[in-house]
Amino acid sequence: MIPARRVKLFSNWFAIYMRYRMRKAFNRLVVTPFTPKPGHSVLLLCNHFSWWDGLWGNYLAYWHLDRHLYIMMQEDHLQKRMLLNLFGGFSINRSSREMIKSLQYAAGLLNNPENLVVVFPQGELISNHTTEIKVEKGIERLIKNIKGPCQIVYNCALIDYFESLKPSVFFHLYDCGIAGEMPFDELTNRINTFHQHALKAQIDVEH
Amino acid sequence: MIYPQKNALINWFSHNYILRIVKGNFHAVKFNEIEVDKSKSVLLLANHFSWWDGFLMYYINQKVFKKRFHVMVIEETVKKVSFFKYVGAFSVSKNSRDMLASLNYAAELLNDPQNMVLIFPQGKLYSNFIDEVNFEKGLSRIMDKAKGKFQPILAATFIENLQHKRPTANVYLNVLNTLPGGDTAQSVYQKHYNFSKLSQVQNII
Repeated sequence: MIPARRVKLFSNWFAIYMRYRMRKAFNRLVVTPFTPKPGHSVLLLCNHFSWWDGLWGNYLAYWHLDRHLYIMMQEDHLQKRMLLNLFGGFSINRSSREMIKSLQYAAGLLNNPENLVVVFPQGELISNHTTEIKVEKGIERLIKNIKGPCQIVYNCALIDYFESLKPSVFFHLYDCGIAGEMPFDELTNRINTFHQHALKAQIDVEH
Repeated sequence: MIYPQKNALINWFSHNYILRIVKGNFHAVKFNEIEVDKSKSVLLLANHFSWWDGFLMYYINQKVFKKRFHVMVIEETVKKVSFFKYVGAFSVSKNSRDMLASLNYAAELLNDPQNMVLIFPQGKLYSNFIDEVNFEKGLSRIMDKAKGKFQPILAATFIENLQHKRPTANVYLNVLNTLPGGDTAQSVYQKHYNFSKLSQVQNII
């Protein structure tokens, strides 16, 4: 397992640079108004369907949720892009025993209320049009290991174009409650309900 | 109403411009191979969620139908984007008397087997995530007037990103022998749309 070697200064530069890149690549980045609970770390669960997802996690952590970003990445992906290691990327290898170490490491990060950890509960790339979010078992273990106060947030990102040739991305953020307060099945249910809700809300989105 | 116009230079330029931006902005445009009847014109019905729809269908026409491209566009848009009329756009203005002229013109175009007419029956832009496609009135008038002269083709498009930085457009085409007018057309399209969406959702990397 590769732990994060986060350097604050470089991470700040990276966030500013990526915001510039995103503003260039997208017509609009729309985030539903959301304030995380003060004094809580944030476990940000995102849907995984594109190349941009991790960078969006960074964008949300910096400019909207006001926390230090850490992100769980597949080990072979991180090894190819070790620069991201300096911005908060740590690895997970799903096919080895070290997986548990990664989950415990992530939980440890969440004990600090200044931190935010991005995890993709689906564990693989799945169509943006999917109606179901499969939450991998590892999330249960991760949450069990968190000792400090931690808020779980689900982020549903949806891409739409409307009156533009550039895509717009809409982030629908939902509060899933405090870690440890609900059983795992309940969390899965909530995420799926929120996902359905986001798909409905997307139809009436302003454009 | 505004009719399509011809100008060799602008036509040539617009044609290449469209194909170029489609190739440049998308990782790929995927579509299923279909057989088109050469002795009939094509009436293409597509979902409308972005500015790309028309361009993507233009690209599909180049690859599959190989007919003269025509598209029905809201009058304001044709006025605003002046090159549209050189790539086969003709105008329609909703809720006016002019609308009948546009519908008749579309039907007239369908009489010539060399032509294809693209119509977005939704009438305006909706999200790519809608579950129900609602048709506006007027389509059945075109179909009644040009009965038997054209081949109806349904297209449902979904944009997907996945592991590539540039998006992929997935176009699901379906050729019908006949398409009854009115509400039946909508339900036939809905069925095709649902089926396409289902295959789209199964995309896993």
